[in-house]
Amino acid sequence: MSEINLELNRIAKRFGGNQAVDHVSFSVTKPQLIGMIGPNGAGKTTLTNLMSGMLKPSSGTIYLNGRRIDGRAPYDVTRAGLGRTFQITRALNRMTVMENMMVPGLAHEPGARKADLTERARQILSFLTIDHLTNEYSRALSGGQRKLLELGRLLMLDPSVIILDEPFAGVHPRLQETIYNYIHRVHEDGKAIILISHNMGAVFELSQRLIVLNFGALIADGEPQQVKNDPAVIDAYLGHDEDD
Amino acid sequence: MALFKQIQSAIDNSIGRRRLGYLLLGLVVLFFLWFPNDTSQSNYAKTVFISGFFYAILSSSWAMLAGIAGQFSFGHMAFMGIGAYVAGLFARDGITVAALGIALTPESISAVGAIIIGTIAAGAVGLVIGWLLLRLRSSYLALFTIAFSELFRIAMLTEYDFTGGSNGLSLRPLLEVADVDTARQIEYYLMFGLLVACLLVMYRVAHSPIGIFLRAMREDEDAASALGVNVVRYKILVFVFTSMIVGLAGAIFYSDVGSERIIPEQLEVLQMSLIIAYACIGGMESLLGAAAGAFISRYLLEAMREVIITLPFGLTMADGSDAFVWETGAWRFALFGLVMVFTLRYMRNGLLFPIFNWFSGRDLVLKETVAKRKHDDDHVAMLEDQDE
Repeated sequence: MSEINLELNRIAKRFGGNQAVDHVSFSVTKPQLIGMIGPNGAGKTTLTNLMSGMLKPSSGTIYLNGRRIDGRAPYDVTRAGLGRTFQITRALNRMTVMENMMVPGLAHEPGARKADLTERARQILSFLTIDHLTNEYSRALSGGQRKLLELGRLLMLDPSVIILDEPFAGVHPRLQETIYNYIHRVHEDGKAIILISHNMGAVFELSQRLIVLNFGALIADGEPQQVKNDPAVIDAYLGHDEDD
Repeated sequence: MALFKQIQSAIDNSIGRRRLGYLLLGLVVLFFLWFPNDTSQSNYAKTVFISGFFYAILSSSWAMLAGIAGQFSFGHMAFMGIGAYVAGLFARDGITVAALGIALTPESISAVGAIIIGTIAAGAVGLVIGWLLLRLRSSYLALFTIAFSELFRIAMLTEYDFTGGSNGLSLRPLLEVADVDTARQIEYYLMFGLLVACLLVMYRVAHSPIGIFLRAMREDEDAASALGVNVVRYKILVFVFTSMIVGLAGAIFYSDVGSERIIPEQLEVLQMSLIIAYACIGGMESLLGAAAGAFISRYLLEAMREVIITLPFGLTMADGSDAFVWETGAWRFALFGLVMVFTLRYMRNGLLFPIFNWFSGRDLVLKETVAKRKHDDDHVAMLEDQDE
């Protein structure tokens, strides 16, 4: 039996009168590639923020690798082994690409030799095809290159669970290919991945399991084909074929 | 010819340029070391330099706080004042803490001891303010620190019996040298040494992992936190660190090194604005740039008190002199404001940034990367054409 890496128990988040996340429970094991879908406002990003420590839940618990992480500071959650990207990329603009890579490297391994971290960063950047931009300020990067940089920073953290929030949004098809390769490689490395995307083709192709949210509640959790035919999911998100 | 070629090859690569920069910096340091030994220089000139060094410490440490760590604080002068006032009050009144069995009489506290206590006090208040500011960003942080700064100034102004009010507070003199010339020389080297030491320590921190974390925090606190940076710790750390630096500088400067007393006027928001302006003109994100900006600005503001314009074409004034003497008064600050406006509009990284950038050789590195990227983009475009 696989070991549970991330476990959410009845997680809820309320903003005033709005129940953004409504008692959601699920668990993630390694190496699992999970797609998380749902219409806009379903609570996907809020749930990501709760898992990564950006928000404190109103109720419920979250365990990461056996350690309770709900309500902990984001840096603490990151160090515990959960890495995330942002829907709108958040490159550290006035820092070079290499410096962007060094931030998580130095935070994750404070005692590491700078030369070792630099070499590892170079290898990751090379895999992501942006190694030639090493000395460039990240503000000069294109949207797609920024996405790749965010993914590269995650690898410097070596987390056991990764949440990718809309990694394909607004990215050139060729760079999307690099992101596909990245997801495959990270998955093969034995990490658990939660992929949030409106790109249905990519989600159904990559995911082994799908989680569907609607109005903050979890309405389906299962294999992609099973979820695809779930009437609740069709009603809430996927829609009916015109022929039906 | 060979020398020309050597210089040419040195400026064509980033390492050569950096070496040239260090060489120039070394020459500047040598100039400052030589300056007080020049017998033609008056004590007044040395005093102007001492004041320049002091403001260079204030501006560069503010650059560390705001330019590197992104904490746009207006409380810097207040922390300087805390260092000076606490040093002065301890040296005057001593301290008794019955619960801890501590009883220090004024006689038992040396000037150095008082300066250390003032520095620690500035750091302690920095710790509290840093903690209070944790959830405040940008304009809220600025407004909070203005309020804190004014609160402190008004307290120092109002508590006349305790602080001396608008007359200020005299600190215990750090140096007791009878000969004025010798005293000025020692004070000069003391402030210059303090500036060099502060810059070296700040440079070391800015180029350590802590410096990288501070810059990440400046760019995006949430992103930095998601990358594993303990934002709370580093925010408090940078407040304590820079508060102690300015607290130390204030305590030393007002221990009759640069000035014989600290007055509340020094803590006004206008004074703080000058510190910010010096840093912006020199380069907010560069410690050396901010220090140089402050020193040069202080020197020019002093030199421009009286501008003598020699009249051309044999023209003379009504009194027969061939020069027009302009008592600039407040106009020199207006001119300074104009420079500030120009800097913020056209050279946001500071007037000295192009010079530092050139010596760092960064433009050469960028040329290489941009050329490579252009090649890659062309390659992608070619592949896309083939696909079509």
